[in-house]
Amino acid sequence: MRLLIVEDEDLLAAQVDRFLRDHDFVVDIARDGEVGLYQAREFDYAAAVVDLGLPKLDGMALIEALRGEGSRVPILILTARGNWQDKVRGLEAGADDYLTKPFHMEELLARINVLIRRAAGYASAVVERGPLSLDTASKEVRVAGARVELTDYEHRMLEYFAMNPSRVISRAELTDHLYDQDFERESNVIEVLLGRLRRKLDPDGKLRPIRTVRGQGYRFTLGADG
Amino acid sequence: MAEGSGYSLSLQARLALLTAVLLSICLGAAGLVLDRAFNAAVLASVEQQLRAVAHGLEGVAEESGNQLALRPDLGEPRLSQPDSGLYAFVDTVADGTIWRSPSSVTSPGNIGRAPPISRRPAPGEYYFGVAPGQNIPRFVLAYTVVWETVSGEFTFWILADQAPYRAEATALRRYAVIGFGSAAAVFLLMQLAALRWGMAPIRRMARRIRGLEAGTRGDIGSDYPKELLGVAANVNRFAAYERGNRDRYRRAMDDLAHSLKTPLAVLRNAGGEATGATGDLFREQVARMQTVIDHQLSRAGAIRSALPAHSIPAMPVAARIVRALERAYAEKGMTVTVEKSPLAVRVDERDLMEMLGNIIENAFKYGRRRVRISAASTERGVRISVEDDGPGIAEARRELVLQRGARGDVESAGQGIGLAAAAEISASYDGRLRIATSASLGGAALHLMLPAPR
Repeated sequence: MRLLIVEDEDLLAAQVDRFLRDHDFVVDIARDGEVGLYQAREFDYAAAVVDLGLPKLDGMALIEALRGEGSRVPILILTARGNWQDKVRGLEAGADDYLTKPFHMEELLARINVLIRRAAGYASAVVERGPLSLDTASKEVRVAGARVELTDYEHRMLEYFAMNPSRVISRAELTDHLYDQDFERESNVIEVLLGRLRRKLDPDGKLRPIRTVRGQGYRFTLGADG
Repeated sequence: MAEGSGYSLSLQARLALLTAVLLSICLGAAGLVLDRAFNAAVLASVEQQLRAVAHGLEGVAEESGNQLALRPDLGEPRLSQPDSGLYAFVDTVADGTIWRSPSSVTSPGNIGRAPPISRRPAPGEYYFGVAPGQNIPRFVLAYTVVWETVSGEFTFWILADQAPYRAEATALRRYAVIGFGSAAAVFLLMQLAALRWGMAPIRRMARRIRGLEAGTRGDIGSDYPKELLGVAANVNRFAAYERGNRDRYRRAMDDLAHSLKTPLAVLRNAGGEATGATGDLFREQVARMQTVIDHQLSRAGAIRSALPAHSIPAMPVAARIVRALERAYAEKGMTVTVEKSPLAVRVDERDLMEMLGNIIENAFKYGRRRVRISAASTERGVRISVEDDGPGIAEARRELVLQRGARGDVESAGQGIGLAAAAEISASYDGRLRIATSASLGGAALHLMLPAPR
């Protein structure tokens, strides 16, 4: 899943970037508010982490602009200013959560996961879709109680499907959320990955968790009504 | 008196002392003049009396043989009573004493002989003065006459004890002292009352300056007599400057702490990767630095120059925080009741938000499903209560929770210092934060006491 990090402190941004990549996210870093706003408008993100004190356009204005345009991307405020006036203003402006610096990376990861799950409509850390259970914290996947071992990319793909159930997802969107921008888009890596994931989740071909919508993309149907 | 040498009489004491000294000098001088005038009057009166006695004796004197004799009807009864205090005798230079009054007969001492005055008065003259050579103080009057038919100059001596006159003078002096003293006392009291009235604006100013120090006022006002207006304006300017300084200090502390937070976040994240004893040391020290910064920040937040002049209703602020937190804690699906209450508190809005934010977030964190926020008016101010249905805070830990971060220890690092910060801010308003158990919801009940509007 692709995340937008808007943070002007290079070292901190680099640390967050590396940590989130290690935890299977695709990360875009914006160094100022204007770039952040542009990125958020141009690309589809699973969540955005926004520092409040930013050059050019401050975080509060960025959030207000995004919400004003109808964007529903989950936003986590990351700020050194831990006072409540700023926290309340940030949440009122449309942020979904806040984290005060300095913070534990694990805490940041947990908050981001919660925001993504919440946006998909899941209340618990363990996502249940029919016989499939996906623990977003421990990354454990089970089908009908039996554990399924997935590679990083397979897991990323499954999680993205699970977080966007019943919606047709194009190959380009999948690529965006699974790989960095410099990825070779014309290759058939997505199809190969999808085939492997289908075989692991549904070795007998009975569940058919991910269906192909001809000419449009794929739809995750497991646990959906009908 | 050198500047700053400490002891200095109050203005009131100075003026009172000055008045008392001036009053004593004036009244003393007046008393002295009065006393002298009275003494002179008494002496003149005594002389007149004694002359009258002498003329009386002259009147009863008659020729008898070749000598002068006095008839027994002396006219003045005291001359006939022994030891009456009034004595008389008649003598000549040649024959010595030729008559003495019956009053002098039994009197001891020198009565009957001419007192050793410098010279006898010439015929027709009077001598009056204090009689020398007497065993008790006496006035003496001498009067010399020449008789037509009897040869020689006869001197009539009248001696009178001074005691009765002195008693009179003493009594008068006593009356004068009492009268003058009472007048002085009344005058001093009036003077003190006038001083109190006159000094009232200065006392008012002093009282307000104390208020300034205590933080209950922002300035000392300007309702003073024109002599004090300049001082008041200067004090007000200084207070405003001080307030500005404190605000700048608070902002500087805030900026310093916040600018340290991002590098600290970098260090902490880098430390997370380090292993072994060095890694532990690194993490421990970073945690300690963070605790110190958080604590100092909450203290900087508690620096205030004065209670705000205006108050704000507490419940709308609580409701605003609840709405914001409901967003951040959406997945918990808390049911939050914010009681509708018009009660206002005399607290800066930013501080109120800081206190309520920390307390209400605590309830969101530890409550299971329900939070209730209410306000009540008490004798000491307004009590805002935040209750939840969580596990509550054990009695033994309550004190620790409210002081967390104060010692900068590692044990408390990482745990929130929110409640401790709220307690510290409330204390700066002479309020307090108390932890109890919620009777209705079963979890923690946090009672925040804050000053009510004036």
